[in-house]
Amino acid sequence: MNIFLKELKSHRKSLVFWSIGVFLMVVSGMFKYESLSSSGQPMNEMLEGMPKSMLAVLGIGEFDISTATGYYGLLFIYLLLMATIHAAMLGATIIAKEERDKTSEFLFVKPVSRNGIITAKLAAAFVNILILNIVTFVSSLVLVGKYSNGEVVTGDIVVTMAGMFILQLLFMVIGSSLAAVKRKSKTAASLATGVLLLTYVISVAIDLNENIEGFKYFTPFKYFEAKNVMFGGGFEFTFVLLSGVLIAALTVVTFIFYKKRDLNV
Amino acid sequence: MNVIEIKNLTKTYGKARGISDISFSVEEGEIFGFIGPNGAGKSTTIRTLLSLIYPTSGSATIFGKDTVQFAPEIKKEIGYLPSEVFYYDNMKVKDLLNYSASFYKKDCSKRIRELAEIMDLDLNKKIDDLSLGNKKKVGIVQGLLHEPKLIILDEPTSGLDPLMQQKFFELLEEENRKGATILFSSHILTEVQRLCNRVAIIKEGKIVTVEKISTLKENTYKKFKVETKSTLDPNYFNLAGVNKLEVKDNLTSFLFKGNINEVMRKIADIEITNLWIEEPDLEEIFMHYYEKEA
Repeated sequence: MNIFLKELKSHRKSLVFWSIGVFLMVVSGMFKYESLSSSGQPMNEMLEGMPKSMLAVLGIGEFDISTATGYYGLLFIYLLLMATIHAAMLGATIIAKEERDKTSEFLFVKPVSRNGIITAKLAAAFVNILILNIVTFVSSLVLVGKYSNGEVVTGDIVVTMAGMFILQLLFMVIGSSLAAVKRKSKTAASLATGVLLLTYVISVAIDLNENIEGFKYFTPFKYFEAKNVMFGGGFEFTFVLLSGVLIAALTVVTFIFYKKRDLNV
Repeated sequence: MNVIEIKNLTKTYGKARGISDISFSVEEGEIFGFIGPNGAGKSTTIRTLLSLIYPTSGSATIFGKDTVQFAPEIKKEIGYLPSEVFYYDNMKVKDLLNYSASFYKKDCSKRIRELAEIMDLDLNKKIDDLSLGNKKKVGIVQGLLHEPKLIILDEPTSGLDPLMQQKFFELLEEENRKGATILFSSHILTEVQRLCNRVAIIKEGKIVTVEKISTLKENTYKKFKVETKSTLDPNYFNLAGVNKLEVKDNLTSFLFKGNINEVMRKIADIEITNLWIEEPDLEEIFMHYYEKEA
């Protein structure tokens, strides 16, 4: 319990900054929506003139961004990127920082098992990503609702945020497992972010080229895409299962490898 | 009873670093010195005992329990001071010590205050603002606040001024009187001699010898340097136990092992202008043990 509280405290400041970040993202996004929708020129017409690849890279894809929910679907991908980057870095650093800051000779000589330490740290990271998710959820709910002109947005926001939370968890354990496996765990955070960007690029590539659609299993960004969960019938069972299995497996990897590894002292 | 028992402990990692086939034991109530130059494997051995790293082969027990299998349990009664102290910077000394205490299921607040007073440590300072010596003091208090039965110290005196060093040694002797066993690693022979009953000497990852300090002293050389008015006959100090005799103009130097009175009598018989008798430094003791092995 003491480690858990200590970790919550030491990540408090960074969580506040990330929360402000996502809040500003939602604010500026919806502000832009307002100015676009009030400018008179129908946005869809404007977009039709753009090449499909351009739309895919921008994440616009098939969204009808003249509606608040459609626009939110576009905004969601950026919120998702922020939240998952936060989760990946948090998962990696919360494990790796004892070695990075050379405090392992303090913590790991205390009468706690390594499993106990990992459990406390992952629990603290879990609380952090949950709070960031709630902040994103509430900001979205309030601000999208404000511009939606009576459109019902709550349901859409709930499903996208649920999807985002699963991906946050997934990237958190990708980060933590990398930090647990790598002996030079200092590099785990940058590596985890690298994995994240790579999988994101793959997801964009799939949007550009339908022939490689089979790769969608390799990139979590394809698991709960806004266009599918909002407009295409909710979560796909395969992806929920796949995420669950990956999260469980990587959690186990985190525990097992960290327990067996020599600490870098 | 042996508090620490190390059996054929080997740890290899990277290229040549590590320790090989280390065996020795530390008895209850002992202050045991662990001495060797930097990089000899002292910290590696200690970190293996603490399960920060795991042995490649061999094993060790503390309080009769395997150090890997029962690590969390035995650590309840271990206090450890690492050679370099690093703490969470954004904390006050008080908060760090309370955090440390929170791992042990007893009230340590009184002991923290006592120790801080002895070591003259300001509990309200931030750790970032502390000097190296003061950080070391935090380490000392942190290692002793739960009144451990086994105290493991890795080069504890670096950064401490002589006065603090003295207080620290007194503190250790007091803990020892109360029943604590101490493993004291160092590369400074004099402090080990001052404090310890027995020592293990380690060089290049291997234990060279485990000796009582008293025996070690009897067996070591003393360095003699004699300055005379005129060049001395090289055969003048031709005694049993004299080694490496060198005569350079008016300066005669040699190593001597044995009854020191014999040499002193010889010296008293000649007209000298100056005289140095030095304890051999650690390196020379190693030389002694290495020559013996070769």
